[in-house]
Order: sequence, then C-alpha cells, then structure tokens
Amino acid sequence: MSRVEKKAPSVCTDLPLNNAEVCEKLHLMKELLKSCYGPRGRLKHVRNNIGGRVTTSSASSVILPALYSSQPLLNLIKTSVLNHISRFSDCGLFAGVFCLSLLEQARRHELRESLAIKVNKHCLSLCTSYLQRDDCACRVKIDFSSSQNLMTLAGSIISSKPACLLTEAEKLHISTMAVRAFLQTIPCSSPGPVTLGQTVTVTVRGLPVLDSAMFPGLLVETHDDFNQTDSSSELLRTVLFSTSLAGDLAELGDGTIEADPNLDTDLQILDQLLELGKQLVEDEVRLCVCQKVIHPVLQQYLRSHGVVVMERLGMALMEPLGTLAGTQPVATLHARIPSTAYGRVKNLSTKQFGFKTMLHLQADGEAAVCTAVLCHRNETMLDELKVVWRKTEDVLRLTLKEPSALLGGGCTETHLSAYVKHKGQQEASETAAGLRCSPAEFLLGVKVFCRSLDMVARSLEHDGGSSAMDLNHAHHWTVSANASEEDMAGGLGLCGCGLVENSSTEWTFLNTEYAEFCPAPLLGDSCRKPTVLDSFTAKVNALQVAVETANLALDVRYVIKDVN
Amino acid sequence: MLKSVTAKEHQYVGLHKLSALARTLHSFIGPQKSYKFIRDDRSGESALTCSCFCTIQNLDPTCALDQLVRETLQEHEKIYHTGSGCLMFLAGAWSNAALHGLRQGISITQIISAMSEGIEICLDAIRKSAVFFNGNDVILSRRSTAAAHSSRLSLSKKAFSEASNMSSNLQATPAKVYQQAQNGSGHRQIKLSRYFCETKSEMVSQFETYSVAHIAEALSHRCDNVMELAVEAMQIQSRNNQDISFVPFDITKVMTCVLFGLPEDCSCVVQGCIVLLADEKVSVFHHLKTKHLKVALVNGDLSHNYRHLGFKRPAGMQHVRDQPGVSGSSREEEWVKKVVKLLLDLGVNLILITGVACKVMVQHCCRHQILVVEKLNFSVLRNFAQSTGSVPVTYASQLGHHCVGTGVQLALWRDLSCHDRKLLLPVSISTGGNTELVTAILTSSVQCKLESLEDRFWACAYRLHHALKDRALLPGAGRTEMFCICHLQKQAKYCREKRTDSVPTAAAGTATALHTSVMLELMAEGLMDYITTVMINSGKLSKVKARTIVSGQLQTFDVHKGNAAKFPQLVLRNEATAVSSVKTTECAQTVEVYDNLCVKQEAWRKALDLVFLVLQTDGEVVSGVDQKMETDAMML
Repeated sequence: MSRVEKKAPSVCTDLPLNNAEVCEKLHLMKELLKSCYGPRGRLKHVRNNIGGRVTTSSASSVILPALYSSQPLLNLIKTSVLNHISRFSDCGLFAGVFCLSLLEQARRHELRESLAIKVNKHCLSLCTSYLQRDDCACRVKIDFSSSQNLMTLAGSIISSKPACLLTEAEKLHISTMAVRAFLQTIPCSSPGPVTLGQTVTVTVRGLPVLDSAMFPGLLVETHDDFNQTDSSSELLRTVLFSTSLAGDLAELGDGTIEADPNLDTDLQILDQLLELGKQLVEDEVRLCVCQKVIHPVLQQYLRSHGVVVMERLGMALMEPLGTLAGTQPVATLHARIPSTAYGRVKNLSTKQFGFKTMLHLQADGEAAVCTAVLCHRNETMLDELKVVWRKTEDVLRLTLKEPSALLGGGCTETHLSAYVKHKGQQEASETAAGLRCSPAEFLLGVKVFCRSLDMVARSLEHDGGSSAMDLNHAHHWTVSANASEEDMAGGLGLCGCGLVENSSTEWTFLNTEYAEFCPAPLLGDSCRKPTVLDSFTAKVNALQVAVETANLALDVRYVIKDVN
Repeated sequence: MLKSVTAKEHQYVGLHKLSALARTLHSFIGPQKSYKFIRDDRSGESALTCSCFCTIQNLDPTCALDQLVRETLQEHEKIYHTGSGCLMFLAGAWSNAALHGLRQGISITQIISAMSEGIEICLDAIRKSAVFFNGNDVILSRRSTAAAHSSRLSLSKKAFSEASNMSSNLQATPAKVYQQAQNGSGHRQIKLSRYFCETKSEMVSQFETYSVAHIAEALSHRCDNVMELAVEAMQIQSRNNQDISFVPFDITKVMTCVLFGLPEDCSCVVQGCIVLLADEKVSVFHHLKTKHLKVALVNGDLSHNYRHLGFKRPAGMQHVRDQPGVSGSSREEEWVKKVVKLLLDLGVNLILITGVACKVMVQHCCRHQILVVEKLNFSVLRNFAQSTGSVPVTYASQLGHHCVGTGVQLALWRDLSCHDRKLLLPVSISTGGNTELVTAILTSSVQCKLESLEDRFWACAYRLHHALKDRALLPGAGRTEMFCICHLQKQAKYCREKRTDSVPTAAAGTATALHTSVMLELMAEGLMDYITTVMINSGKLSKVKARTIVSGQLQTFDVHKGNAAKFPQLVLRNEATAVSSVKTTECAQTVEVYDNLCVKQEAWRKALDLVFLVLQTDGEVVSGVDQKMETDAMML
C-alpha cells in the first residue's frame, strides 16, 4: 500500500517588488555590492558556515557565487551578473549596483513598472549610441603603437581591488607584466586567421610581489621527490598522456569484473605499462609528460633510459603544453602510439621559486605560450592578485575587438548621466508621445535612470566623503568628509579619471538637483592623459545587462514557489 | 540554502578581536617565556605551549579572523620557524593604532596610506641598522666544541673589560667596535673577527672559533643550551665539507630525536641519523652492529596492499574460485616471502622507509636479520641515497642491484638500559665519515617539555640558518625598535611642521599631513609597547618604569648621527644597569643580542598586512546558514 503524502500548496507572491521584505533584501544586496566597489572598496570575508577556508576579497567574481538567497529575484540578478562576468570579467559590481539602483530608484519615485521599463530602454539606447559616436567625450581611443593607454587600463584594473595591498611600484610592475604578456600572445606575422597565444599563471606564495616575472614557454611545477636536474638545450622528443599511467584499471562505471583470485590484475597492467615504456624508449622519446599519475615502476624504467618524466601535470596545463610542443595527447595505453602524436620541446631547465621547483619548457620555434609567475606575501593577497590578473588579461584582450576605453573614476557615469538628462529634457515632448506617456512622467523616468548612474559614481567613495560633478564637462570629483567650504572654493584637485583639473566653473553635489546642461567635450588641453580607464566593451555590456535585468525584474508580476 | 551578511553594528569588531587575541599571547614575547596550558573543556585534554604559533595551532578557529591569523602564522612559520610572536604582537599593537586613528576620525584610506608610509620608514630603518658581514670572514671552527665554548667565554670577558676601561659609560661599549668598521657605502660592513684583532694579536688562531659562535650566542635569546646544539650541528656538518670557506647551515640535513627520561643536560648532537629501536629489532641490531651493511631505501609503506599515491583501487572487482581455496598461506604471506627472498638475494641488511612496515614483514625481516627502520623523512632518504649510491624506490619489488647501497654502519649511541629496561634503544645509522646528516638528541626528564624543547631547538637552528643566509644581523634587545621609533617620530614631526608652515595652500593636504603624523606616532607607540612588554616579561620592571627607561633613551638619541647599535640593550639588562651605568659582574657577562634581518622585516610586514586586511573588511559573507540559527546576521 502506498502512502499518500499531502502536498502543500504553492506560495504565490503578488508584485514582489512591492513586498517590503523583498525590497529590504534588494537593498541589502545593493549595499553589499556598493561597499565593495572601487579601489577603496571594503573587503568581505567569504566562507561557509562549517568553517571552511576563508577568502577575503572585494571582487564580484568571488563574492557573488557565495550569495544564496531565498528570493528568486535576487538570484536572477546574481545569475545575470555572474553571466556577464564569465564573458567579460570586468564591471560585475558596476552591473550589480546599477541594476539594483534602477529598481530602488524606480520604487522610491513611484514610477509605474511598465513606464520605467520603456524609459530605461530609451535611456539605454541613448547611452549606447552616444558611446559609439565619434565625438563621445568619455571614450578614449587605444593606440596600439603606444603602450600608454594600455598601461593605464591595466593599472586601473589592478588598483581596483584593495585586497591585493600593492604599493605603487608593485602596481606598476604587475601592470607592465600584464601588458607585456598581452603583447607576447599576439603572433607577429602569421598570414591567415590569427590565433592568440596563451598565458599560463603560476602562483608562488611568500615571495615579494616584485619577484613576479614573465617567461616565454611553460613553467611546470614538479612534485618530484627523486631529484632530476638535468637541463639540456637540445630538442627533446615529447609525448603527452592524458590518461592515467598509475596502473589502475580503467573506469568500470557501475559494472563489476569477476576474476580468478590467482590473477594479479595490477601486475598485468604494469606489464602493459612497461610495454608502453619500451615503445617510448624505442621511439627515442626524451620527455614523457602525464596529466595524471605515472606508476613508479614505469618512472624508474623510463628514467633509467634517460627519459625525463613529469607526472601530475593537471588539466589546466594540458592545452598549453600541447600547443607548445605540438603534440596530441595520448588517451589510451592499449594501442601503439602513432609517431604523429610526438612533439618537440626545447631548452629544458629547472628554476627555483621559493619552495617551488619548476621545470621550464620552451617551444621549438614560435609558439605564443608564456608563463606569468605571480608572487605575493600571503595567500589571501595572492588569491586576489590572481583574480585581478585574469581580469586584466581578459580586458586587454577585449581591446583587440574594440580599441577603446572609457574614462574611469566615475567620470563616465556622471558624464553619461548629464548627457542623458540633457538629451531627455530636449526631446521630452516628442519622446513622451512616442512612449505614450506625459512628458512629466517621462522626465521622472529619466531622472530615475540618471540618479542610478550617479549612484554608481557615488559608490566609489567609502570614507564618508561626498561626490560632486562639475557643470561644464560633467566629470566626477570626490570631496573628503572633513573638507570645509573654503577648501572646496580653493579647488578640488583632479577629477576621478585625472583628465580635468579643478575647473573653476560651478559644480554640484551628485545627490542634489541641478539644471540640465550639455556636457562639453574637452578641447585643446590634450596634454593631460587620463590616469584611470575602464574597459569599453565590458562596461557597455554591463550597462546593457544591468538595464535588461532591471527591466526583467520590473516585469515580474508573480513569484510562484513550490514549497514541497 | 540561505546566506547571511554580518552586520556593521559593532564597528571594526575585527580589529578589536585581533588586538584581544594578540594580548593573550603577550607572555610569549621576549627571551623569558612563560608556559601556557590550553584546556579542552569537552575532552578534558590539555596542551602545554610555549610559543605563539603553538598556541594558535592548538586553538579551534571560530571565526574568519581566527582563520586568517592562523593562515598568516602558518605561512610565516613554514618559511622562517621563528618570529611568530613578534608578528602577532605587532598585528595587535598596530590594530590598536588603527582603532585609535579611526576614533580620531581619520578615514580608512588615510590610515592605510599613512601606515604604509610608516612601514616603509621602519623597513628602511631596519635595513640601515643591519650589521652586514662578509661571508668569507665567518670561518668555522675545526676544533672540538668544548674548547670553543671555553675560549668564547674568556674572550667576551676580555673584550668587555678592555672596552669598559676605555670608557666608563656603558652606552658606548657596544658601539665602539662597530664605528671603526663603518664604510662609506651606507652599509656598515663589519668583520666580526676583527672585534678581537683589536684586543690581542695572538688571538688570531682563535677567530675561527669565535665567529660562528659569536653569531650564535647573539641569536640565542637565552636559549643558550639549545643554541649550542645548533652550532655543534653546523660544525659537524661542515667538518665533512671540503670547502673551508663560508658555508651556510643546511637545515634540511638536521634531524631531531627526542628522548624521554634523561636529564636535560644530556642533550647533544651526533653525526648521522639516530633512530630509536624497540623490542625485537634490538637483537637484530646487536647482530648487525659491527658490520658494513647493504641498504635499500623505500619511499612508501612496506606492506602488500600499499599502492603509490594516485592509484585508484578498482571498485567493482570480485574474485571467483572454481574450487574451494585450500592454500594455507594468505596473499600477504606470499608477498612477504617474495620480498624477503629478494632482499636476501640482494644481500640487504637494512631497509629505510618513509612509511610503515606491516607486522608480518617486520617479523620476517627480523628472523632473517634484516633491520627495518620506519617513518623517516624523505630528505633523510635522499641523503642516504647520495652518500651510499642507492636509489629510493616505491615498491620493494622494484629493488635491483643498482638500487642497493653499501657502506652503512650501525652503532649504539648510548646504552640507556641501566636507566630503565623498557627504554628504546638509540642507534645511530651512519655512512662512515662522509654523511652530512646530523641528529640533535633532545632529552628531558619531563615528557611534556620535550615538544617545546624541540620547538626551541628548531627556532635556534633556523635563526642561525637565516643569519648565515642573510649574512646580516640586526641589533636586538629593543635597539632596532628604538631606532625605528626615532625615525617614525622624526617623520611625524616633519609632517606636523609641514602642516603649520603651509598655511594658505590646499587644506586637504594639511589635513592629510596631520593625519599621517598622528598615525606615525601611533605606530611608534605600538613598537614602544613591544619593547616595554619584552622588558616586563624578562624582568622585575613595572610598565611605568620600563616606559621611563625607553623614553629616556629615545630623548638622548640623535637620529642623524647614530644607528641602532648605539642604543644600549634594554631588555636583557636589569633595572640598575639600565638606569645608571654601574659596572656590575652581571653586566660583564651580558652578551650583545641580535635578531634576524629577514625574519623581522617579514614579520612586521605580515603583521601590517593582516591589520590592513582586517581594517578594510566590513562584513562577512557566510553561505549555508540556517535562518533560525543566526540572530545578529542579515539574511539575503
């Protein structure tokens, strides 16, 4: 007799955005992301409740995966931001803060959801079309004949995460390395489709940051207890195994094998392995690399025949090593290895980094694989440095697609906000008619959008200071908390991106009302270069992701939850 | 799954926690340490600890901060094996400084930039006060250590009386010798041996004895007896080295062997590898002790079901017999017989393994007079491989003629049977004269002290190792700290003056300068705390008195002219000598105390890193929290 279990009815929440509890959680998430934003953002300890490892970070790629919510709306936002990060690496916090601000501001100004969606879309298209225009004043062209803008871009990203605790000299060192790594992965002269090279990152704890370095070729950590320090400059015939050579049986799945108790399976497989070893020696292989473990007996056999053995390479290094040596990984030990599967490696040598001994392999000819060795004093900081390094790598690559960058330090946000406000005011009546609403309603929607953009710029300040914008170029300035009126009359120094200095024109606080104006492009004084730049591609996509996610959230009428 | 973000309501709770944690560890600072008991209320077990690192290791981490501290200390200890106490103290002291700064309304950004400036000043001052020595001048003694010890004592007395005759002012004594060696490059290159050239020329033959011993004595920090063992270990090691000139202390070739039941002064250092043998192995040893042995090295366990790392046992394997099994011997016995036969064929008498051997195997080996020594470090195995020409293998079945080494000898280190019948037999395994392996035998009649004794030995050995590797020493006993305080205060004063000078210029700049000066003062205060705590820990001084002495010294010091070595040593002196310059016999025996350069630099830097990470953290993201459990957390 089967038991009948009574099912609980599903819970349906009407208009989740009007629910106080949901709003509170959205606000909490916004505050959380906001507090991490920017080079002076606050860090978070991330851990699980059973006392797992603690990571300390302010990167969205570390914090967001640890956030679980009972509210599907929050998870929706989280997922779309994570999705953005997985494609563009940068601007995750920007997307999150902007999206959540849009939702919050719309509710605060009691804007109808449907209208908010329409106006948001309109404003987004204004922004994107403006950013694509040639006379866009917050975009900077990246000139590949000079490394300056690339360096600034790399430097801005590296400084954006305070948990790295880098000094100025260290920041410069790492950004130089990043730019160099980027340039090295671009093949110089190959006709036809261009394939970008790879940079492999190796981390070493306990060494000073300035010991970080770039190497052509691959550096592979050796776990080898049996010291082999033979280095050679000749070409070494190389074989690469992706299958385990540990002498264990192949994966059986759920099946079973019935065997005679007198049969020694281990010995039989070992025989097969030795057979394989014999072939390798016959084929004059000099370097044998395996992704997994190699049986010690096979290792001993190969070594005794002068073969350099490397085991436990790991998944991540398989592809780069394959490219470097020009080999196909061998996936079975039951067939003869075809001669085409062999590759070549040059200049084998060992290098010592702190406690790690690494084997340095170089390509025969040009293979754009290089290794970055990143060093830092402790694990927490090293982890964050690694996150930042990957981000920098990706962002620099994105410049190949679109050789532009946006002004950083909040200047792009304030500039866009001023532009949208100005444009909205100008075209209020006709756009309102197009969106089938009153001009007043439309302007309210524009205000919500602009306030949200301003909010992102304001999030850069964490020490109780306030944010200001000049009424000429619409750049962003921070005013420290203990600055008095006279101080501000004296001037505010450089703007967020470092392009404008203390324009004596008027300025306004970002959370106050101001008359709309058309932000003027910077003319003539091109002697000053921006000191903070953001990725163009990543930011434009983040803008779109934020607005579309916010629109989707605004569109949610019911949340239906199956509680069984 | 739910999650939580702990609230901001208790502002900077992390810094408070860090400083509180550091405060509980204050008693481990300085040469005079007090033991601490750590008790587990649930199991009733307790542990006796005598170091900061040991204590933190024994505590269960309950929050993110504990974990962060643990991680930092582990990392530091893994490389340096000393200096954790200093690291922890400064982390606490500087988190206090940061808290003071926050209370005065200085923003986090400004605190970080000011303290970063501060640590640069400190590190620079440390570099300036370091005493560099040329490697070639440190020549090792080839003499017996007993002679070395006695000559050292007489020398230091002579040197002292010579110096104190020249000037009755004690403060000038330590500095005198170093001034002469000052050179123009900024770094003071001194030859330690020159110290004695000055006093008497016939001592030339004895420099070599003095050099390393002098460094060791300076670094011993009142663990003289243990430090002597470290020096001895180094001397034995270098005896085999053909190169007479400077050799760094190779710490990987040093082992420890702890023996319970002997008084502490029985501790000594022996060449070769000392292992403890029990029961049935003893008779095998007696059989083998005079012979030249053949040795096999196995990196792993010696048992039939042992498989190498990374081997996956098949899950779905079933054995099917077509007739009932009647064979008497099990698989294990078959395997053991096979291995023993192989060993006998190869003529192996001694097997050294990193893992453990199964019981049956040990019994069989004993029956055939083969000695199995278990649980050795791989570095020991590697050493035997080098000196005997043997090759370490993973499985005994891999052994062949080319894997087996020769020329190993066993000897009884000391017969302890008269003390107690049940004691383990300490046996030395050596490869004639050419082994570089050295074992320090640490003895104590109190069993729970052995662990801390071992800790102290390693701390001393590593201090010596780092000093020889850095080729530099740092004036200790509070002198470097005082030098740093001077530099911090000088910079703080400069910042204040800059502020008052520049009246009309940017106000933001003046505020920053003021805040920097405040933070630098607070950092100096942290170092001051460190010195006074060490003084309090090591003597009869009260906190007030200690402070008076330190500030008195600081006032008379001129930053522009002096260096750290010009400060008198504060910590090891007693009250009377520190205040007035009375010559006492106790004073005459005071040795100059030195610290390690790189250890101190790293510890300070790591301490500040820890403070910065905690300072910048304003929340904790915890995943997988049950909504009902946490009360002060906010749920997403």
